[in-house]
Order: sequence, then structure tokens, then C-alpha cells
Amino acid sequence: MDQEQIPPRKSAAHEQEAKYGEFVSLLARHDQSIRRFIRLLLPTREGVDDVMQETALECWNQFAQFTPRNPEDIAGDFIRWACVIARYKTLSWQRDRARDRLVFRESIVERLAQTSMQELDQREQERTAIQGCLQKLSSEERRLVLSVHSPGESIARIAEESGRQARRLYSQVNYLRKVLLECVRHQVTQEIGHG
Amino acid sequence: MDDRTRQLIYQLIDGAISPEDFDRLQDAMEADEEVRQEYLLAVHLNESLQEIAETEWDSAANVEEFPGGHSSISITKNENKPAHLLSSPANWQVPQWSLAAMILFLVGGIAYWFGQQNAEPSLLSVMDQETEQGVEPLISGHASLRRSLALRWTAGTPSYREGDVLQAGKLQFEAGVAEIDLFCGATLIVEGPAHLVLESDWSVQVIEGRLRASVPPAARGFVIKAVGSEIVDLGTEFALEVGEEDARLEVVDGEVELRGGDHDGQLLTTGQRQWLKGTPKASERIRSLSTLADVQSRRASAQQARLAEWKAYYQILRNDERLIAYYPIADSRIERVVPNAAATGGDFDGHLVGSVNRTEGRFELESTGLSFERPGARVRTRIDGEFQAFTFSCWVKIDGLDHRYNALFMGDGYENGEPHWQIRDDGRLMFSIMVDDTKDVRYFNAIDQKVVKDAGLHRVYLTEQMWDLSKSGQWFHLAAVYDPANRRVLQYVNGEKISQEPIRDDFYVSTLRIGPAEIGNWGQPFRKSPWFAVRNLNGTIDELAIFNAALLPQEIHSLFEKGKPLGY
Repeated sequence: MDQEQIPPRKSAAHEQEAKYGEFVSLLARHDQSIRRFIRLLLPTREGVDDVMQETALECWNQFAQFTPRNPEDIAGDFIRWACVIARYKTLSWQRDRARDRLVFRESIVERLAQTSMQELDQREQERTAIQGCLQKLSSEERRLVLSVHSPGESIARIAEESGRQARRLYSQVNYLRKVLLECVRHQVTQEIGHG
Repeated sequence: MDDRTRQLIYQLIDGAISPEDFDRLQDAMEADEEVRQEYLLAVHLNESLQEIAETEWDSAANVEEFPGGHSSISITKNENKPAHLLSSPANWQVPQWSLAAMILFLVGGIAYWFGQQNAEPSLLSVMDQETEQGVEPLISGHASLRRSLALRWTAGTPSYREGDVLQAGKLQFEAGVAEIDLFCGATLIVEGPAHLVLESDWSVQVIEGRLRASVPPAARGFVIKAVGSEIVDLGTEFALEVGEEDARLEVVDGEVELRGGDHDGQLLTTGQRQWLKGTPKASERIRSLSTLADVQSRRASAQQARLAEWKAYYQILRNDERLIAYYPIADSRIERVVPNAAATGGDFDGHLVGSVNRTEGRFELESTGLSFERPGARVRTRIDGEFQAFTFSCWVKIDGLDHRYNALFMGDGYENGEPHWQIRDDGRLMFSIMVDDTKDVRYFNAIDQKVVKDAGLHRVYLTEQMWDLSKSGQWFHLAAVYDPANRRVLQYVNGEKISQEPIRDDFYVSTLRIGPAEIGNWGQPFRKSPWFAVRNLNGTIDELAIFNAALLPQEIHSLFEKGKPLGY
């Protein structure tokens, strides 16, 4: 008996729709990772939205060529694939604006992209660790370190407002950032070390 | 790395860097991998803090002075942002959905996403509240589903399990009996088909269904809304039946007041009946509604039947040749020993150490489980041999995740090929195997403020969050499959796969071992210091099986199906 099954015939539109659904689901689930990757290649937040948008559209245009290497880690493969596109889009975005904005040298972007690609898996762990570390601060410290990031606030503005306390405030925030950074590093490596 | 470079990174992040310093920083980044890593982590941290701040702080809320008064920073705080936005990884994606929405619009297919949303109550119900003393977790909801019998929830509406906290909104089921405790103290026994809307701790709307309400004095004032009337309970027990055609009320004991509708102001006392809708039929009483005692006894016999089915199953399972060890704790009565029921025999028995309590198992009074709530509680075993794959399966009731890591099954020394199976404090399952204990991992230890060495190359396979405080006291079937032949690690909750990850080449181990090990804790009696990590599980385990094989998804599902207690 012929054991081979005849695949059900699908219309091109149907296939396109399925492919589209797959793409949207992957992108929606992982656009945060891709966006973060882009942010890390740029010296400031400026341009992240633009590059992300261009990356997303380029990903969709090329999605037909996306073939996961490892069927058990499609998500990981998708993120890595999209990050390659994102790196390229970041470089070309920077090139267009190099004259009037703060941008990294191309060699730096390349190196950051390389290091960042190796650490993609780690980002999620770091995110969780950040939550935990933040909880370890006293509520005053937590408030201070977060107030810097509250909408409409910035270190410069807070420093301006607080006048003579500016320097002290700045160094306090920087101290807390250092504490958080060490804590995150510790938690992540401990997880690798103590599972 | 020196503080100066670190300072440059922060100047860049804060947008306060001079062109010369920016060049200096780029030189350092170009030359030094460590600087690049520091930069990446610092920006990542900064962006994450930004997201947290945006979620947590709301410029429209209260404005306070910064404590200590050493600055004039205005701090605004939004008190009721759910902490799941902070604690679950899913939240990191929330603000970014706009992008997906844009793409969706481009190609058209919004319905796809809405189609993906399911009606299951998710882990949205727990949050943390910051108080003077620190962070206090909060759970949202108005009632709990205390017991149930053969409940069949209506498709497309929230479905709950015994022990679940019920959220405001629809409670709709096609069949079965639910015993619902409202937080005000009133108890409802509802028979399906039923359609209720839970409004608050004090109020429930009945659209369809038969129920009996018991309202103790403390819950006086509890209101049921039906057919345009409010039934205000004055400390009683009453029965209500609401159908499409008619609706009626009967006071079993005490007094009830009707408000609104045609019967406004009417008082009913013991034995009195009132038709709220439809034509009264002579002397017909509300058909044999279940009482608490009925539910209890029907449940007990159904639970006994479940236990009997499981016992029959475990007699078959224990003969599975792939079993390394099998501890069907639910059925064991010997004081300090947990017998290994597998063919491998008494050598692999577990021994109770410290204050392990025998307590109610998942089949309630009919069975036993082992509780590890005290730090010294543990079950020790020693399983020698070499294995080609692992499947761990257990039934566990988690009361709280008190420690950073909470043990299920742990190899003592964590040497090559040995497993660690545990639950992290954020409700994620963790499974790992030691790959190479001779390799050192170096990391910065914040406590000692220096770089320390840590033994061993291994990888922790983490799942999504599967537990939060609202799930406290519920039984879960957990399974972890380590499958070197197919190079993958799978983890399951209640028979459903929740995670699958490939085993990368550098984390591949073909020969697996267990050796001395513990259930419910990690004691490391071979350690060289008196200190030990506190990882006892604040919860109860009542069945644990270890296979020298990678069980198939359908086999895991069957372990769950055959072993599940009533109410699943």
C-alpha cells in the first residue's frame, strides 16, 4: 500500500494567510527582543522606532526565505534572523544621519551587534533579575532610581530642579545603578552556577 | 573596568556626554569586550527601568515630596497597577503590541489576534502593593470555588478549578455542582446549567440556574439579583430557581426581603415561597436542591472512586520497566519510609529526615502526601546506576514559594549527569543537568564584592510562570523530560507541554546519573561546611516517578489523566 499521504491542496491565498499568521505571531511575541537589540546598537533612544519599523517591514518582505535551522527553537531562530536584518537596518539608518546626530562608528555597531547576538538568550534572564534586584532596594532607593525614568523626567531636569543637591543626587542615582547592575550580573551568573 | 569608563556610559545614557567623551568611550568600546558588555547591560538595565517606571508611575496621581526632603523631585505614584506587569515576562511586551497592530493593519487581519485570546483565567490576579513595611502581595477576586462536582464550564467563558479565586464577571457552566464561598461569608451551592454574574463580595446576579444560599449572620446583607428583583438576605438559607419561563424563591430557614420589581418590600419567612416570574403552580416545591452535606458526601464518594481508579493504574504503572524509582506516596502508611514501588525495589526507598509531615494527599482524607514546609524537612534516597534519559513526574501542592529556589527533586552533589528539578520564586519551573563539574564559571559576587569561582557547566531550562499565590493550595501534575537522544528538554504542567528547548552541543550529556538525592529539599550532607542552602518546598508532594526514558507527550498526559484527583 502506498503509505505516502497526499498533502491537502491549498490555494496560494490560503498559504499566504497561514504564513502571514505565523509571521504576525512571531513578531508580536518577539518584537520586544528585536527592539531591545536595536536600542543596544544606538547611542540613544532616538531612531529605535524608525529602525524597528523598517526592520519589521523588511522581515515581512523576506519572511518567505526564513527557514528555521532548528525546528525546536523557531522563536530563537526567528529572533536571530530578525536581528541580522535589524543590524543592517541600524547601519543604514545611521549612515543617513551621521552628519547631524550622535551615532556610533560602524565598527562599534558591528562589535556591539556581535556581542549582543551571543547574549540574546541572556536578556530574558536579565529582565527577570532586574525585577528581583529592584525589589531588594529600599523603597526610597527604588523611588529615586525609578523617578529618573518616570515620564517627562530626566536626570538633567531633576538636577536642575533640585539645585544644590544636583551632584549628590546624580551620584546617588549612579551608585544605585551600579548596585543594580552588580546584582543583575550576580543573579544571572548564579542562576547559571546554581541550577 | 574603571569607574571613569562606567561614568562615560551613564553620561551617554543620560544624554549628557560631550563629543570628546563620546569619542573616548567609543575608543574604549572598540578595544575592550568588557566595556561593550558593561555598556549592553547598562543600557538594557536602563531601558528596563524605564519600562517599569512607565508602568508604575503615573503623572496624574498623587504628588508627594521625595522622602528625606533633600530635593524637590515630584514623585507621582499610581497605586493600583497590577504587579504582573512587573513580575511576568509577558508584560515586557505590552507596550510593543502597537507595532504588531501596525503590521496587522498593513496586511489586514485583526481578527487573528482576537481569535488567539482565550477565556481561561490567567495569572493576572496577583499584584504587589507597596506599603510602609515593604511589598505586600494582593489577590483580586470576590469568592472562591471551594468544591465542585463534575463541572462543565461553558465554552468561551472563564473556567475555574477547585480552590481558584473567582474574579468578578461571568460564572457559567452546563452541568455539575459548584460550591462557592463569597468573601462576605455567604455560601452558594449552584447546580448547572447555570449562568451567574459575580459582582462583588456581597452581590451575585442570577440569570439562570438553581441554587441554595446559606447566609450566616456575618454575611447579613448579601444580595442576589434575579429577574429585576434584589433578594436581600437577612441571615438565612433560601433556594432560588431561575429558568427561561419562570423564577421562584423559597425560604428554607429565616427571613428574606425582596426589593425592586413587582415585589418591592415583601418579606418572606421560613417555608414561604414567591414566584418572581411566570405562573405559580400549586404546591410545587423546588426540586431536591443539593445541600452542603449532599455535596460533601457525593464528593467523598466520587473522590474515593478516583482514588480506586488511580490505585488500579499504579499497580500497572509500577511494573513499567523504564521506571528507575516510583514513590506512590498517596498510598503509603509506613512511618519513616517512602517505599519504592518500582521493580528496582527497596534499595531505592526514600527515608524521611527531619520534620516531614504526613498530611492530606491529593485525594484528600483518603490519601497521604508529604509536606516539606519546615526548612529541615527532606526525603533522602540513593539511586545508583547510569541512565540514558530522564522523565520526572510528580503531583505537588504548592502553598508558597518562600525561597529563591524551591526543591522538587535534587541530586546531592550536583555532579556530572545529575539532575536538579525545582521551582523558582517567580513561579517558573527549572530543570537542569550538570554537564561538566570540573569547569569553573567565574562571576562577580555582590556579597563578597569580588569575582568568585563557581563549579560547573550546566544550563537551566526555565518555563514560563506556571504558579502564583492565587494558585496556592491547588494540586498540579508536573513533569520534566530530559531527552538526550532527541536533544531536547520538555516540561509539562497538568499533562500539557509548557516548554520545549533544544539541548545545545555544549550542554549535551549522554550518561545520566542520580546518586544520593533528595525529594522536597536540597541537603547536601556531603558538603564541607555547616551551612546549607534553604530550598525546602513549602508544599506537599504525593507521588513521584522517575523513568529512565523520555516519555512521550501522550504518556505524560496519561500520567496526569490517570492520576488526577476530583475536580480536574
